[in-house]
Amino acid sequence: MVFSSIEFLYVFLPVTLLCYLIAPRKAKNVVLLFFSLLFYWWGEPKYTILMLFTITFCYAAGRLIENKKGTRAGKAMLTVSVAVPLGLLAVFKYADFFIGTANSLTGADIPLLKLALPIGISFYTFQALSYVVDVYRGDTPAQRSWINLATYVVLFPQLIAGPIVRYTTVAEDLSTRSHSMENVALGIRRFVYGLGKKVLIANLLGSLCTAYRESGDPSVLFSWMYAISFSLQIYFDFSAYSDMAIGIGKILGFRFLENFNYPYISKSITEFWRRWHISLGSWFRDYVYIPLGGNRVKPLRQIFNILVVWCLTGFWHGAGWTFMSWGLYFGVLLIIEKLFLRKYLEKAPSFLQHFYVVFIVIISFVLFNADTFTMAFSDLKAMFGAAGLPLYSADTLYNLRSYGVLLIMAFIGATPLVKNIGKKIEGTKISTVLEPVSVAVILIICTAYLVDGSFNPFLYFRF
Amino acid sequence: MKKAKLISIILVFCILIGGASLWLFAKEDGEISVWERRKLQQFPVLKWESVMDGKFMKEFVSYLSDQFPLRDELRRLKAQVLFNLYQQKDNGGIYIQDGSASKIDAVINSGSVDHFTSRIGYLYDTYLKDTDCRVYYSIIPDKNYFLAEKGGYPHLDYDELYRLLSERLSYMSEIEIKHLLSAEDYYTTDTHWRQEKITDVANEIRKAMGLSEVTDFTEKTMGDFYGVYYGQSALPLPPDTLTYLTNDELEGCTVKNFENGSESKVYNEEKYTGLDPYDVYLSGAVSMLEITNPMGEKGKELVVFRDSFGSSLVPLLLSSYSKVTLVDTRYISPDMISQFMSFGKQDVLFIYSTLLVNSSSTLK
Repeated sequence: MVFSSIEFLYVFLPVTLLCYLIAPRKAKNVVLLFFSLLFYWWGEPKYTILMLFTITFCYAAGRLIENKKGTRAGKAMLTVSVAVPLGLLAVFKYADFFIGTANSLTGADIPLLKLALPIGISFYTFQALSYVVDVYRGDTPAQRSWINLATYVVLFPQLIAGPIVRYTTVAEDLSTRSHSMENVALGIRRFVYGLGKKVLIANLLGSLCTAYRESGDPSVLFSWMYAISFSLQIYFDFSAYSDMAIGIGKILGFRFLENFNYPYISKSITEFWRRWHISLGSWFRDYVYIPLGGNRVKPLRQIFNILVVWCLTGFWHGAGWTFMSWGLYFGVLLIIEKLFLRKYLEKAPSFLQHFYVVFIVIISFVLFNADTFTMAFSDLKAMFGAAGLPLYSADTLYNLRSYGVLLIMAFIGATPLVKNIGKKIEGTKISTVLEPVSVAVILIICTAYLVDGSFNPFLYFRF
Repeated sequence: MKKAKLISIILVFCILIGGASLWLFAKEDGEISVWERRKLQQFPVLKWESVMDGKFMKEFVSYLSDQFPLRDELRRLKAQVLFNLYQQKDNGGIYIQDGSASKIDAVINSGSVDHFTSRIGYLYDTYLKDTDCRVYYSIIPDKNYFLAEKGGYPHLDYDELYRLLSERLSYMSEIEIKHLLSAEDYYTTDTHWRQEKITDVANEIRKAMGLSEVTDFTEKTMGDFYGVYYGQSALPLPPDTLTYLTNDELEGCTVKNFENGSESKVYNEEKYTGLDPYDVYLSGAVSMLEITNPMGEKGKELVVFRDSFGSSLVPLLLSSYSKVTLVDTRYISPDMISQFMSFGKQDVLFIYSTLLVNSSSTLK
């Protein structure tokens, strides 16, 4: 089940919120756990068991690690408790990738497992890992209640598309959270605006990308339109899911951290990654980069650490060489910026810095969205006029006319302009009227699009 | 945040979400969508197997979407937003040009063209090659031919499509008709042509087959007609008017349906109130029909291999023939035709629209 669906908006959400509202304070986590499991089970009936196993294993591991803190047994328990969820992730997500690679390298014919990828496994595995590691480090006490820990791992707002919520972020909220009218209203507003971003911008940009793939009349301009559209689509889609998750979290009394902060206004790739999928970046920083030594090592070792982290970051997004290369691409760029480019960039005119970031990111998403290197190179060749395509075509001009307004809306929406205007009018009479009206209008129009069965992709099936 | 604003946001959300969900489950489920010309999904049967394999969930999702309150109005709202706010040029491929709705068909599907010509070739080789039949074919341009280029919409390379067909169907005589047609000859809300506008086309075909012109028809108007694009575009287009042309000869004909053995008239007015009012012409999609014309010349027969465009054309070709057989190989295997008829020295016409040529997978 996805947030941008009729079944979520008009069945699951109202029933869940109603039950949550009438449940006594002590039973609220049980209600949340029940509905979160139902939410997951709806899309993955068979793999719900797998998730329950991960939760129970991490619950037991957390308790044992705490009891054996500072001992060899504690360390061994940590190793096991990290290895088991990662092992499950490896089997379900990466096994066929490794088998396929081994087959092509050795000429062997090991049959692929062809296991369906459990939705959200990368998100909930990372959450479970953050819990056991934090308990081992003494950053948080082990959770005494299985229900509370399970609620944390399966909490439906962030279960299938993030953000990756650290246990320490919500540990307090799990046991004592407060609910207020202001949080509910702010949560609703955030959720509906996120829904609008997903249904009214990201999905339509996705249609343009599909039009490019299906076009029998490609051109250089069309391939750039595709690359720009996909870069915007993935931003609006992903940040919309985070908005909706943060919004629902707020309604339920949870305080999730921000996951996106207008990444396309960045002036360097380093800054871009501080603004893009913040929860993933900080997870890798705290649980991989710093344990590897982080910045406090010799330069060569630091470069190695950065490459390892970015290789893993790419691999986290999907089991394929293109994803790994996408991660490495950013790793290399970050190293170049760190070593010498940053000082030149800082002196460059502002527009040039923005252009640099946007160009690098657009190219990266062409690679990210390609199933194979051949496809990626074919798209890149088309963009740079090396595929023998005309500069533009009738189909290109048609799609430019048809999607021009959307692209302008997306360009504006990718900047903080609208947010800043909202801030300026906050507290005024206009805002008192405008905000409830905008919530109603966006909700109705989104419903109209969803009822019509419009294009509504789920981009995270490979995550 | 002001308290009034907080309350308003919460109220708006609760009323819209709560109200719509209560309405959704309280209202009686609809069975068909007249607009979309299809059956609506009913509440799925709950079984353990269908839950575990996800079938129940899929059907439940379709059920919610199909039965959602004010579904047609919401679809219309979406179309308005798409065309007026986003300034998009089409809604799911449907566009409006000069007040007429049409569906974008931009790329020649060479696989489909191959399939089409090979199926026609098979019919010719199996039934017509060694007979005295006079065999003709004619290709009807779809509406895009007249509208798309004018409005800047992607469109087929029609010259290339006609060239390909001409090259591959060279063993038959081509009857060219596209020069006789214009956008006004088609319904504004439907794919099909208007019977009252194609008498010149019918006479061109008759002329090519050595028959005299027929012009003495009386127009009979059935009423408003909302075609297939009306529902698909979800825009408030004005309705067309469904009219048929008749005369004493046509009124005296009987139509036998090979599928169920039933007999009817050339124009089946009962069909006007059905899902597709265009079915008034020869009762709509049927695999094989035989029209007997008591006023026709004895022994003179016509066989028409056709798609739905043929339903409104064939009545205009009837005169002079004592028997006309219509075959739609989307609904009958070519190998079964010999069970119902034989070929000797009939006139044979293959008439198909470019829509079918470019999307011929249903042709058996």
